[in-house]
Amino acid sequence: MKVLVAVKRVVDYNVKVRVKADGSDVDIANVKMSMNPFDEIAVEEAVRLKEAGKAGEIVVVSMGPKQCEETLRTALAMGADRAVHVETDAVLEPLAVAKLLKAVAEEEQAQLIVLGKQAIDDDCNQTGQMLAALMNIGQGTFASKVDLADGSVNVTREIDGGLETVSLKLPAVVTTDLRLNEPRYVKLPNIMAAKKKPLAKKAPADFGVDITPRLTTLKVAEPAKRSAGIKVASAAELVAKLKNEAKVL
Amino acid sequence: MTTSHSLAEQLATAIPAARIATDDDSLQRYGRDWTRYTEPCASAVVFPTSTEEVAALVKLAASEKIALVPSGGRTGLSGGACATQGEVVVSFDRMNRIRDFNPIDRTVTVEAGLITEALQNFATEQGLYFPVDFASRGSSQVGGNVATNAGGIKVLRWGMFRDWVAGIECVTGTGEVLQLNQGLVKNNTGYDLRHLFVGSEGTLGLITAVTLRLTQPPAPLAVMVLAVPELSDIMTVFASVRAALPLTAFEFFSEAAMGHVLARGHVRRPFDGSAPYYVIFEYEHAHNEDEAALTVFEQLLEQGVVVDGVLAQSDSQARDLWRLREDISESITPRTPYKNDIAVKVSQVPAFVAELDALLAEQYPDFEVVWFGHIGDGNLHINILRPEEWEIDRFRVACERVNELVFALLARFNGSMSAEHGVGLLKRDYLHISRSEAEIALMRGIKAVFDPQGILNPGKVLGQ
Ligand SMILES: Cc1cc2nc3c(=O)[nH]c(=O)nc-3n(C[C@H](O)[C@H](O)[C@H](O)COP(=O)(O)OP(=O)(O)OC[C@H]3O[C@@H](n4cnc5c(N)ncnc54)[C@H](O)[C@@H]3O)c2cc1C
Ligand SMILES: Cc1cc2nc3c(=O)[nH]c(=O)nc-3n(C[C@H](O)[C@H](O)[C@H](O)COP(=O)(O)OP(=O)(O)OC[C@H]3O[C@@H](n4cnc5c(N)ncnc54)[C@H](O)[C@@H]3O)c2cc1C
Repeated sequence: MKVLVAVKRVVDYNVKVRVKADGSDVDIANVKMSMNPFDEIAVEEAVRLKEAGKAGEIVVVSMGPKQCEETLRTALAMGADRAVHVETDAVLEPLAVAKLLKAVAEEEQAQLIVLGKQAIDDDCNQTGQMLAALMNIGQGTFASKVDLADGSVNVTREIDGGLETVSLKLPAVVTTDLRLNEPRYVKLPNIMAAKKKPLAKKAPADFGVDITPRLTTLKVAEPAKRSAGIKVASAAELVAKLKNEAKVL
Repeated sequence: MTTSHSLAEQLATAIPAARIATDDDSLQRYGRDWTRYTEPCASAVVFPTSTEEVAALVKLAASEKIALVPSGGRTGLSGGACATQGEVVVSFDRMNRIRDFNPIDRTVTVEAGLITEALQNFATEQGLYFPVDFASRGSSQVGGNVATNAGGIKVLRWGMFRDWVAGIECVTGTGEVLQLNQGLVKNNTGYDLRHLFVGSEGTLGLITAVTLRLTQPPAPLAVMVLAVPELSDIMTVFASVRAALPLTAFEFFSEAAMGHVLARGHVRRPFDGSAPYYVIFEYEHAHNEDEAALTVFEQLLEQGVVVDGVLAQSDSQARDLWRLREDISESITPRTPYKNDIAVKVSQVPAFVAELDALLAEQYPDFEVVWFGHIGDGNLHINILRPEEWEIDRFRVACERVNELVFALLARFNGSMSAEHGVGLLKRDYLHISRSEAEIALMRGIKAVFDPQGILNPGKVLGQ
């Protein structure tokens, strides 16, 4: 059973991004880039399924600029078998990515498609859902547990106030949440071995997908600075301030 | 010594009474640093908020012969901030403002009580970088860092705290306020007193503010951990890695040391298997450095000096890998480790380590010896763990006996008996290992000039 995993290259989770002076975007020059943490979890899950003898070949796919190759190599070093890079310098919106993923998934005849629940740069939380709709197959989003059976998959989802388990017929889309697993460290011998694994280059045009953006960014701004706290002398003063200034009482 | 009641009244002529503490809890807490070998015995703790208050306090102390212990984040590892003889502790907790940042000079002037990590974060927010870094960053203070000339994990690339100090404001033992060097890059006007205060451990004056240089941030940093079976091979790994990569840090630790971190369950083992030693290093990743790192790894693997390795794939993984090294000190604290912070020249490390290893194995057959340190600087932290059933005093006496042997070995290598933790109280009686009689006599002379009444951290570094 073939598994397709989507991986995105994003600004590292620990980087505090700064807005460009002209307010057009965030500044990512000289900034650490890594695999989207939820995608790392997706790759880890696929590799664990394979190690448990439940999944066959793992194909990883990434859309974006040349440097996505590094992200794909990381996924290969973690244990994926083969990579597909849909190379483009264009801005990609979730719908365009979902369409490209659909094309790759159909070409690969993947039975299980695993994505992160969202990418930590745009925080859209749309691609997995759009992909399932476009392909007209089931979806198990925000997965904290994935049980693969013959022809179906049980996905435990993290929802408000508890857990929900859904059973999906394959092929199906699964998006990962934080608690699904803890991705492994990548061993150096595996990084070296990953260099020899196949990485196919494609372009959006190869799949006949229109990736033209439908949104325009008007402005990017920093969140408002929190103003400093103050000290009050008495409870009465606090109540007065809450009433008259903060107007919350 | 006056009774604490009248002492508090005296102190209140310099520091508002609301910022003078004499309760047991404060006296205990502020009476000691990270070390656990002395019983805290302070008579009061004061919290000045300005240089003027500090100056008034010192003038009072000088005329009334009140001994003062300057106190920062109390993460010191040599007892420098301990009050053991009824001193008044001067805490800089309430002097933690950032006074001035100048992007053209690339300097920032901060009060002595600013937490080290707050300085680092401030620099980052300005698009700059403050490179001196160590595990106690979240608690230690800039004043304490200057007073100890702190080192840490990035000395290899960026040097010690000293190298970043562009100016110091301090109060000498007579209550005089000095502005030393005032942020200048060039200032060849006689003796550079600023550098006397760096590493003075509170014995020459109270540091009230510091001007620090900031620098360009490095390229994104990559972190690798390698498994090394033989202690003697660590410097081979260092030489190869240093030749190939723009290193910013190179540290080592033993499996036993890592075991104490892993026992807490907050981080994972880097490999499935284990090796007796590990090295962790960090390098700038601007272009193709990962390729170079892999090539070095392959060569070392072929030579048989390393057996496995991992490369962090994100900053989160890098931080977790660093915890394997950085959390050692904290993880062994419950065992009241006897700490040796020693250094020899990098070229001498292999020969020194071989002799030391043999000596420790022979002298401490029953004790657990934990090895780690900034080995890229020739700096080893050798921690002897107290067997749980031993009393602290019995353990200390046993360690001090072996110290004689370790230090005799160190003296043969012209090494330092305290590489970065300073002398304080714990290493005071060993000063002669690393300093000549003539040097010590000059230090006493200097101390007498700055602190004629002997009220500043008496008994530390030099003894009374
Ligand atoms: C987990 C851990 C890891 C550490 N790692 C390192 C490391 O890698 N490298 C390293 O160098 N150190 C390390 N240390 C030791 C310690 O953090 C440093 O020595 C640090 O610089 C001490 O700063 P502090 O503010 O805590 O000083 P304190 O412990 O409060 O004081 C240290 C000395 O400075 C004097 N002092 C403090 N403030 C002033 C002031 N304003 N004016 C005058 N004198 C003052 C005190 O009297 C005392 O003598 C580590 C400590 C811990 C607990
Ligand atoms: C054309 C020219 C260009 C220069 N450019 C620069 C420049 O760019 N930057 C700069 O900093 N300076 C510059 N200088 C100044 C001068 O060259 C430096 O100060 C240099 O370091 C002096 O070295 P010297 O051996 O000539 O010392 P001297 O002039 O012989 O002595 C200088 C001082 O050092 C003391 N001294 C000399 N030897 C010893 C010793 N062995 N032990 C103890 N004390 C000693 C002397 O007593 C005296 O106080 C320049 C000078 C000239 C003529």
